[in-house]
Amino acid sequence: MLAKNLWTRWVLLAVALVMVGFYLFPVYWMYITALKTNTETFQNPPTFWPHDPQFRFAEVWVKYGLDSYIKNSAIIAAGTVALVVILGTGCAYALARVRSVWMDLVLFTVLMMQVLPSSLMITPIFVAYNQVGMMDWPRTGVVLAQAAKVLPLYIVLVRAAFTQIPKELEEAALVDGNSRMGAFLFIAVPLARNGIMVTAILIFMQSLGEYVYARSLITDRALQPATVGLQFLTGPNASDWSGIMTYSAIYVTPILILFVALQRKIVSGLTSGALK
Amino acid sequence: MTQQITLSGIEKHYGGYHALKGINLDIPKGQFVALVGPSGCGKSTLLRTIAGLETISGGRIEIAGRDVTAVPPRGRDIAMVFQSYALYPHLTVEGNMTYALRLKGLSKAEAKARAAEIAEITGLSALLQRYPRELSGGQRQRVAMGRAIVRDPAAFLFDEPLSNLDAALRVHMRAEIRKLHNRLGATSVYVTHDQIEAMTMADHVVVMRAGVVEQQGAPLELYDRPANQFVAGFIGSPAMNFVPGRVGEDEQSVALDLAGSPVLRFAGRRPSGEAVTVGLRPEHLELGGAGGNSLTLPVALVERTGSASYIVSDTDLMIAATERVADGLGQVTVHIASERVHLFHPTTGVALR
Ligand SMILES: Nc1ncnc2c1ncn2[C@@H]1O[C@H](COP(=O)(O)OP(=O)(O)OP(=O)(O)O)[C@@H](O)[C@H]1O
Ligand SMILES: [Mg+2]
Repeated sequence: MLAKNLWTRWVLLAVALVMVGFYLFPVYWMYITALKTNTETFQNPPTFWPHDPQFRFAEVWVKYGLDSYIKNSAIIAAGTVALVVILGTGCAYALARVRSVWMDLVLFTVLMMQVLPSSLMITPIFVAYNQVGMMDWPRTGVVLAQAAKVLPLYIVLVRAAFTQIPKELEEAALVDGNSRMGAFLFIAVPLARNGIMVTAILIFMQSLGEYVYARSLITDRALQPATVGLQFLTGPNASDWSGIMTYSAIYVTPILILFVALQRKIVSGLTSGALK
Repeated sequence: MTQQITLSGIEKHYGGYHALKGINLDIPKGQFVALVGPSGCGKSTLLRTIAGLETISGGRIEIAGRDVTAVPPRGRDIAMVFQSYALYPHLTVEGNMTYALRLKGLSKAEAKARAAEIAEITGLSALLQRYPRELSGGQRQRVAMGRAIVRDPAAFLFDEPLSNLDAALRVHMRAEIRKLHNRLGATSVYVTHDQIEAMTMADHVVVMRAGVVEQQGAPLELYDRPANQFVAGFIGSPAMNFVPGRVGEDEQSVALDLAGSPVLRFAGRRPSGEAVTVGLRPEHLELGGAGGNSLTLPVALVERTGSASYIVSDTDLMIAATERVADGLGQVTVHIASERVHLFHPTTGVALR
């Protein structure tokens, strides 16, 4: 019995390791390619560990002007998160607290918005921005468009966090001397903070990777985020593959570190309520 | 005595559902009032109405001489203990207790001093830095009490605060709460569906059913002189026996609708031939005592708790005796004083006197 259990565990572990390896292979390939020389990159058969590791991070950073790209990426992601948290938290709360058939309909409509792909939405957004003169502030335009895109996800996830908070806690706060707004800000929001934080982080990371809106709306190179910048380097004429991979590594490493550091919080925040 | 809480003609509709139907209630300062009734009768709704957590559809609420009908909860100066305790999970015991004080504008030091003082009274001193999740059910209950007491409010509202505790702790806390009430001289409204809790703790008991007050008064008043069959059946444990009967020629006795049509005398007079429901409390049916008002009943079952024996007759009449009863009893003869025979109208249930 015990031996059999042990066996199953080993088999499952092996399967898990293979799967993880499969998923992580591109990341691994990115990192080793970043360290290879350009000749070694195209060597056949490929090498799985660079013979002569090159650390070109500083060079690539300067050569491709990464400071401007990364800064723009961060501005767009942070702006999106800020806007979504400010607009979405109250909305999610209202959707969690008011119970009626209409609310289900509202929720469904909100989710429908999530279904539409960016590449489909970009044309009407472009036209609308052109008409109202929004193209003069292209980064703000991207923030607005991206916020609209991720807002439904935020509302749905944060609403779930709010529904887990017993109504009585807020009623206790009202009796204790809070206003309705105070009970929301000082009781409901702190109790939903895990859900809010985790969703905000997910949205931050998702927005760091935003490409479609930025590519179409931002023409000035100085305002473009890293995703768009990266895109200019690839293509049929690209030559500096290891440079591109170094660029990518610089771009995604902070995100990966953030994700790994917070993964326990993220998983627990998504699976369980923030309470207890 | 001055009235601390006055409810006049309280109406509450939930959509098409009429939850409270013209409730009138006067609660003098310092009184402990219990609201009892079966599940769904509107006890919690009434309490929440007093707290301001429910808007009312009609009527008027006064607390401490002030019309608070349109005042939100925070302006009513009341403290509430919830059934689930509703402790703030992200705050320590001390944080929970000082929360309201800080909102009132007390300084941090003042609030902490006051919390420490109340923690002493409620036996929470050692727990002040713990979080609610680190407490047992009984301790949470105490914190909920402490959080209310620390406010020194115009009235305390309790919504079944003991129902999550085990039986022994419940009995203990019952006495504890009542002692605290006496000590603080506070005005308390206590919701429970447990009539024993209501009878033992309260100065004044309000019995509700389906959104109306069936009767209110001192606990023993309700026990001795129930206004109707519902209150008679609800107050007292085990519940009162009800038997159909008919008033005899002499207008002072009633023939029960049981085998052999036994006749019992009652206090007062009713018209001869009137159909009535006769109410007999199990503990008023005393074993032995021949002659006078006596009944002989066949025994179907005897239940013993040690302190009492419950004899159930074949017609489901229950007799509560304090003496031990031998097994294999074929029948028993019980005696009841004529002033303990209650009569009710057979359809409306109103007490007939
Ligand atoms: N928000 C609401 N919407 C509609 N009906 C409600 C609402 N709240 C309560 N009710 C109804 O009002 C009635 C009284 O409810 P209330 O909670 O006051 O009962 P209660 O006497 O406290 O019962 P219990 O002993 O089970 O707690 C119930 O029939 C309930 O279904
Ligand atoms: Mg209730």
